[in-house]
Amino acid sequence: MSEFKLTTVEEFEAGTNRLLETGEKVGADAWQYRVKKQTPHCKFGEQGVCCRICSMGPCRITPKAPRGICGCDAHGIVGRNYLKFTAGGAATHSDHGREICHTLYCTSPDGNYKVKDPEKLIRIAKEWGVETEGKDIYDLAHEVAYMGLSEYGKVFGYQNFLKRAPKHTQEIWEREEIAPRAIDREVSCSLHMTHMGCSSKPEALIRQALRAGLSDGWGGSMAGTEFSDVLFGTPKPIETEANLGVMVAENVNIVVHGHDPSLSEMICEYADSKEMIDYAKSMGAQGITVSGVCCTSNEVAMRRGIPMAGNFLQQENVVLTGACEAIVVDVQCIFPALGPLSKCFHTKFVTTSPIAQMPESDYIRFSPENAGENAKAIVKLAIENFKNRRPELVHIPQMKQKATVGYSVEAIVKVLDGVTNSQVDETGTTKPLLECITSGVIRGAVAMVGCNNPKVRPDTAHIELMKKLIANDIIVIASGCSAQAAAKAGLMDKAAKSLCGDGLKRVCELADIPPVLHMGSCVDISRMMVLAATLAKDSGLNISQLPVVGCAPEWMSEKAVSIGNYVVATGIDTFLGVAPYVTGSTQVVDLLTNGIRDWVEAAYTVETDIEKLVDKMIERIEEKRTALGI
Amino acid sequence: MTLFESVFAGNDAVYGLTEGAINQAIEQYGADKAVSFPNTAYSLPCYYAVTGVKINTLAELKEALGVVKSLMTREKRTHDVFMSGVATALCAEFIEVLKYMDGAVPYAEPCYGHLADAVIRELGVPLVTGDIPGVAVILGAAPSPEEAAALVKSYQAQGILITLVGDIIDQLAEIGYKTGANVRVIPLGKDVTSVIHVVSVALRAALIFGNVKPGDAATLMEYTMKRVPAFVNAFAPLNDVIVACGAGAIALGFPVITNQEDVARVPKSLICQTDISKWNATSLEARDIKIKITNIDIPVAFASAFEGEIIRRKDMQVEFDGSRVDCAELVHTCEASEVEDHKITVIGPEADEMALGSKNSIAYVVKVAGKNMQPDFEPVIERKFHNYINCIEGVYHTGQRDMQRIRISIDAFNAGFRIKHIGEVLYAQVKNEFDAVVDKCEVIIYTDPAECTRIRHEVAIPIFNQRDDRLANLTDESVDVYYTCILCQAFSPSHVCIVTPERLGLCGAVSWLDAKATNELDPAGPCQIVTKTRPIDEELGSYEDVDEAVKKYSQGALEHVTLYSIMQDPMTSCGCFECICGIEPFSNGVVIANREYAGMTPLGMTFPEMASMTGGGVQTPGFMGHGKHFIASKKFMKAEGGIERIVWMPKELKEFVADRLNASAKELYGIENFTDMIGDETVAQDPETLVEFLTEKGHPALMMDPMM
Repeated sequence: MSEFKLTTVEEFEAGTNRLLETGEKVGADAWQYRVKKQTPHCKFGEQGVCCRICSMGPCRITPKAPRGICGCDAHGIVGRNYLKFTAGGAATHSDHGREICHTLYCTSPDGNYKVKDPEKLIRIAKEWGVETEGKDIYDLAHEVAYMGLSEYGKVFGYQNFLKRAPKHTQEIWEREEIAPRAIDREVSCSLHMTHMGCSSKPEALIRQALRAGLSDGWGGSMAGTEFSDVLFGTPKPIETEANLGVMVAENVNIVVHGHDPSLSEMICEYADSKEMIDYAKSMGAQGITVSGVCCTSNEVAMRRGIPMAGNFLQQENVVLTGACEAIVVDVQCIFPALGPLSKCFHTKFVTTSPIAQMPESDYIRFSPENAGENAKAIVKLAIENFKNRRPELVHIPQMKQKATVGYSVEAIVKVLDGVTNSQVDETGTTKPLLECITSGVIRGAVAMVGCNNPKVRPDTAHIELMKKLIANDIIVIASGCSAQAAAKAGLMDKAAKSLCGDGLKRVCELADIPPVLHMGSCVDISRMMVLAATLAKDSGLNISQLPVVGCAPEWMSEKAVSIGNYVVATGIDTFLGVAPYVTGSTQVVDLLTNGIRDWVEAAYTVETDIEKLVDKMIERIEEKRTALGI
Repeated sequence: MTLFESVFAGNDAVYGLTEGAINQAIEQYGADKAVSFPNTAYSLPCYYAVTGVKINTLAELKEALGVVKSLMTREKRTHDVFMSGVATALCAEFIEVLKYMDGAVPYAEPCYGHLADAVIRELGVPLVTGDIPGVAVILGAAPSPEEAAALVKSYQAQGILITLVGDIIDQLAEIGYKTGANVRVIPLGKDVTSVIHVVSVALRAALIFGNVKPGDAATLMEYTMKRVPAFVNAFAPLNDVIVACGAGAIALGFPVITNQEDVARVPKSLICQTDISKWNATSLEARDIKIKITNIDIPVAFASAFEGEIIRRKDMQVEFDGSRVDCAELVHTCEASEVEDHKITVIGPEADEMALGSKNSIAYVVKVAGKNMQPDFEPVIERKFHNYINCIEGVYHTGQRDMQRIRISIDAFNAGFRIKHIGEVLYAQVKNEFDAVVDKCEVIIYTDPAECTRIRHEVAIPIFNQRDDRLANLTDESVDVYYTCILCQAFSPSHVCIVTPERLGLCGAVSWLDAKATNELDPAGPCQIVTKTRPIDEELGSYEDVDEAVKKYSQGALEHVTLYSIMQDPMTSCGCFECICGIEPFSNGVVIANREYAGMTPLGMTFPEMASMTGGGVQTPGFMGHGKHFIASKKFMKAEGGIERIVWMPKELKEFVADRLNASAKELYGIENFTDMIGDETVAQDPETLVEFLTEKGHPALMMDPMM
């Protein structure tokens, strides 16, 4: 244990700087340079007071010009922009979920995609009232997939998954008229409301923002998570490694990047085949290493233990190693910069989705029908590219940490079963965790999510917050690029228990878990909602009473705002380290940080000082404890 | 009140009491008055273990209370709760030590109070072998004396060591339930503070076996959590003081099981079980204690807890005595066709045909067959008979070979126990423990006196003689391999024994043949083969092979070990050694003390103090732990001149080793009655008197070169 040491952000940066030197040699651009050119950012944009929704403008609100040409004030403009931003995120996550439903619909016993977790499929089918008895598992898969797809355009009613929430939460959603209907409808409705001449009342816009968010978290994202589990297996604890050091100089390196596991699962499958490994050897490599970036990486790490090369702001770094034969991407969070960057090296930049098409890439269109042959073609392309490497440019920073990942809700319950006493306790519940919280051994839990953002020194906020939280006996559940920051630092190594307060340390020892639990990709924040709902049901408390908060300290995307909205609307206070584009409206700011608490029993806190942010979270957790008398 | 608040309140209350008690003691005796527990080298062991500071006087005790206060922080974090629990324990230790002021004997039958270091060293082996699978600390009053007895009995039947605190002691006394160290039920004391005496055992175990550095509280707590299989059973009602003590227990890794319903539950740590009949199962599961199930079809219990049980003459139905009539116990290797598995035959009268209180003959021959069975394993199996028969409730066994003595109690007889059941026990245990070499096993028990005479003189003695010849020829030089023994690593992670024919394990329990059998039984187990093909210095007993093995199995903690020197890279100890020798500079010799010896040695140290110099896998040149039988070995500190260097031993030990030691001395140096030259406590307890005595006797060590 004495050998365990976190990797510091300074070490991350030293590695990056060394790679930027390589970049300079080949004339490569990088986000570090582009940030400088883009700073300072447009103030109107930052405050959310720039309106471009009709061609009378663009209008920008200033003290001298407090209204746009149509007469809309700052509050209406900011509210509309915020809702549009949310709708973008909800659409993105949900469309990912739709792709997964479609893949499930395409499963067959001898096809590219199969049902790997039939038990989970049956569970969902029963939850949705589908007859499962005596039904062929693939017939059932197609039926449930069809229903899943229908959730996007259902004519009447609300999202099926809402019934997973505690009754109290469902009542709030109904009462506040934010229970999401068809997913596509909530996105359309949002865009309708933000059209010229529709809503300009902040309350209405924010309410719809919550509803659109819920259609993501309890709709599209949840479908994405649940059906990915059915297709590729429900994650359970598995060992892996994280940071650029997972790339192997002697091997053909394929990096998968994006969000949809359908592509990466296939790549992993073929890269692991003897045929391809032999082919790689015949091409002078010792083997094939698949590693990941962003949430695609989280997906394959959780299910296959595929190592994580890095998170969002490290995507250019993998190419800068000079040892990346192919970076294969699906959708979301992919820098268009990868096109020109890959041209500075031998790297093949392979785009695969009609959703994410980019200049200067090899476009190999991917679909469930051709997944197998295309994956094979991509792996081959990478292998054949090995010989084109320029050895003088190869440098892989030798930094990596061990990580145990794969804590789905099912896996967490299993872990908790392990600390029950069969003479007293029931199994299959979250009660052991609740007992730890009630007794005070663990003070609470924080769901750490979100991206990197150059506005925050990358990964610092994630890592520093987590360190302080676990030192205060607060368990951290992480997903997305936040989870990868933790893994790169070493916080998902079980040995990281040594950094915890005595209470959390003991829990980690007894349950044999790391103090920061990897719960998956960003769509998997839906898992966190299920966990919160289960904790509430098992404890008899409302979600908002639990000493649990959410935090996105380095968020950047539209998806993150959609996530924030559904997390808050589920009753979980959410802390942001980067302000959304709303500061131009006191009314919207007040609503988000205060007013919506009257609707959904939770609200946002924005604090860009990281030290203060963590203290505020701890304070909030302790307030919730005091309110419960625990 | 939350759990944390309760711990803090209990801690504050105990702290107040302690402060008062210390002030009062200072008033009464003065600040310079010495204070300590008896029979320990560790002063106030808990305080010493946690802080690294030994307390000698009341003034220092008062100062230490300031240190305790510094642990009592009040943030709402588990750390503060754990530390307040530890502070409560330390306060309890302070209160308890004050009871021992001025040589007072504060505890009377049946209570034990403070337990000596020697007790802990004795516990080492049974704890690592799983013979004692756990330690229960039972606190408070059970709802009824019967429930108290049932709970204690349930642990006893599993071999678990039980310590009692508070009213349960009176409850058991009330219904005449037998307690005492020999039946593994140790009443500590009636005040809740007496619980510290078992905590003290756990913490000293960390210092003795674990080589935990005193003052390294984090490593200490990791050791107790990972390696001391203790747990607490606390009867309702729990007050704040008990909850604070419980926090201390949980801090050390010991779960608390209670029937107090409104207690805050913590998984695997603080468990509410309202059904006391399930406390046993709940506790074992909470502490991950696995009990080896031995289901033997006999009418009485079979458990290691009964191993120390003594049957007095008045309680005895019948006895068998090898010193008066012909008896024998023998394992005999046969062909598979000659053995009928699980056949038990009694030839001669059964117990119910023998007169009450009569002395009889008995001879049992255990016929074994197996592809991997070797005659060398026969004595290894035979030596276990003592343990097997002793574990029967109401049956007592001492001695071995043809000198065994067995008593069956009236209670056991009345419960239906008969001689054939001895056969059942031998059969079951031989098959259980030696399944790797014994495929078939049959037991024949002779009670017919003529048959016993025949078996003893015509069968057993010739075999014993053959074995003795073989053993006599078995020297370190005559074998090709030695063995490691790392059985103790559960407790002492960096200790490795190297077992050779002439140097048995320091615990006295593992001879070279035992190690060989263990290796055969479990090839990946604690005894691994060590070759001896690359000697560095045969006089020292140093080999490259041995060094490699030691380095590998100590995980790099040790680099070099010599087999025959106590000065250069001496072999380490886990801490459960039978004896310790230490150099005595005035006479150029060594002093040996055994674990049972409670007095002073000429080194100015008691056994516990000498013992604290080594153990935990540490090399301390000039001190070495070893087994009793090693004393007469021709290899005993051969590099420094051998047994000639022995200048002092406790009388009892001297008598125990006299025959063999004298024989070795005669053979090596031509000295007759060498033990007469060796001092003991009746001759000298200080170096000056000892040297006078040695000079008078012309002890050879005086003429030898200084060891340092």
